[in-house]
Amino acid sequence: MDNVLLSCSNLIKEYGEVIKTRALNDVSLTLYEAEFSSIIGASGCGKSTLLNLIGALDRPTGGSLKFRSQDYLAMNERELAAFRNKNIGFIFQFHYLLPEFTAIENVMMPCWIESGKADRKKESRAKEILEIVGLKDKINNPANNLSGGQQQRVSIARALINEPNLVLADEPTGNLDSDSTDQVYELLRQINKDIGISFLIVTHDRHIAEKSDRVIEMADGRIVRDYLTKDLTPDELWRGLAPCNCKAIEHS
Amino acid sequence: MSFELKLALRFLKNGKIQTTLIICGIAIGVAVQIFLGALITSLQDNLIENTIGNSSHITIRDPDDTKYLGNWTLIVDQLSREQDNIKAISPTIQGTALIRGTDKNISIQIKGIQQEPADIIYGISDRLIEGDPVVEGNSILVGTGLAEELDTVVGDTLKFLMPSGETVPFVIGGIFDLQNESVNETLVFIELKRAQKLFRSGNGISAIEIQIQDPFNSDLIARQWRNEFWDVRIDQWQEQNKQLLSALSSQSSSSYTIQFFVILAVTLGIASVLAVSAVQKTKEIGILKAMGTTSRSASIIFVLQGLILGIIGAAAGGVLGILLLYGFNSFAAATFTIVVRWESILIITGISVAAATLASVIPARRSANLNPMEAIKNG
Repeated sequence: MDNVLLSCSNLIKEYGEVIKTRALNDVSLTLYEAEFSSIIGASGCGKSTLLNLIGALDRPTGGSLKFRSQDYLAMNERELAAFRNKNIGFIFQFHYLLPEFTAIENVMMPCWIESGKADRKKESRAKEILEIVGLKDKINNPANNLSGGQQQRVSIARALINEPNLVLADEPTGNLDSDSTDQVYELLRQINKDIGISFLIVTHDRHIAEKSDRVIEMADGRIVRDYLTKDLTPDELWRGLAPCNCKAIEHS
Repeated sequence: MSFELKLALRFLKNGKIQTTLIICGIAIGVAVQIFLGALITSLQDNLIENTIGNSSHITIRDPDDTKYLGNWTLIVDQLSREQDNIKAISPTIQGTALIRGTDKNISIQIKGIQQEPADIIYGISDRLIEGDPVVEGNSILVGTGLAEELDTVVGDTLKFLMPSGETVPFVIGGIFDLQNESVNETLVFIELKRAQKLFRSGNGISAIEIQIQDPFNSDLIARQWRNEFWDVRIDQWQEQNKQLLSALSSQSSSSYTIQFFVILAVTLGIASVLAVSAVQKTKEIGILKAMGTTSRSASIIFVLQGLILGIIGAAAGGVLGILLLYGFNSFAAATFTIVVRWESILIITGISVAAATLASVIPARRSANLNPMEAIKNG
């Protein structure tokens, strides 16, 4: 396929100097443009490790990583920082907003990092995105003056401001109540559809996994299953997700 | 405004109490240094001025104290030709005489001088209370103490009984106050040539008194001259005031030691505040790095915080220090005035800004070395 966004082959990640622990074992994966994928699996199976390698936050012990056929393992620290700034958005379980800044200033942060200042265009874009995430009337609120769900939505807006090609989310709803979880999921999905950004989401929540285009299931540092949700019936899908330590959150 | 500056300012603004406290710390440190430094320097200058301001720095005499210096014109010529570090060369002749009072005799010191150079050394014109600062023929200058004791005024005639037994009349041309009681009571200035005749020294004089531009060069210059003029005795003030100088030098050392430790304390204070701030902001710095902040930028944020704290603290300290100095000069009943030295204030504030910036190196390094993945792991 020619709409490959990212491909990794035979990725290996080992930790430790003397006693080596292999967190990722020969993982090969291809992500496509505008795809909404979930990674599921038990705790410690290597989900976050894979996400960190893809997000260029960490370097693999072996294997190759290509972003639109550009090998970013060859980049130095400075180039990698610029690469992350331009191409990848991050959403974490905790929002890590800077409490010293307002909602819109937090959203503008990646622009400031990129160029030192933000032009009017970016500023109106930030307002637009904050409107999309439902915080139109909170743009000038200090970050620590927002609820948990609102803060997470600000962090989503922040991940989108530089119009990245890929958003990596590590349990983005893990710290939210079920109502907020639904809202955040709907939001991510809408952005994926409207703007065409690819999402790769590490999650324990099988409701989110179930609604993804694609599910990547990991165990012991390997990918054990990789399938499209549309290929399975809802029952098959739901049953298939159950053993993966996915929390069955009761939705009212 | 750069991204780093924006963050640094916001971090400082947000931690208002921390920022205010550390700025106060720097300001007090800088003010103490400015005040202490100026106080010690002015005190020392005052002491030195009192000691040597109106006296000879280097004195050239005949090696035999009882003899007059005969070849002095050659030495004076050579010195005024060759040396550009001299303020005044004053040939003098000194001797004693008696003044017959109504009920007792008063012993006086006669100093034969050339008007111009002696005026530079003794500042006679500036310290004249009455009359004209002119020594010429029979016109002489006497001190306030002597004038009071003899109950005389300008224009009166005094009769000196010379060692030779002759009595010579003089007219008081002026009365001076050299701010030294014993000098005011005994010293009389006479024209050099007249004094030479009185003491029958021929062309000889007692000493060449010299003031130089930088009094603290006197030992070096005296050593040089001793090689050139080997048949005379050359004394300089630093040898004669060794104790005073060593006291001043230990005073300076203790002042520098105090200043060093004040700077050190301020630096450690800033370093600890910024280090705590860097730890508190681990996760924020982590996410900033994930979003593309380079290690260099992450460290600049903290260096800028140190720099800003340093600049504001040093500026506030500079103002406070100057206010302290003016306060001291206006309200403290000191016998001397503290001179505000702008260059030393600039040096102290400059060093403080540098120290504050240096203090930010540890948190800056921590911030630079932070692994974004480690920082944001585990919430």
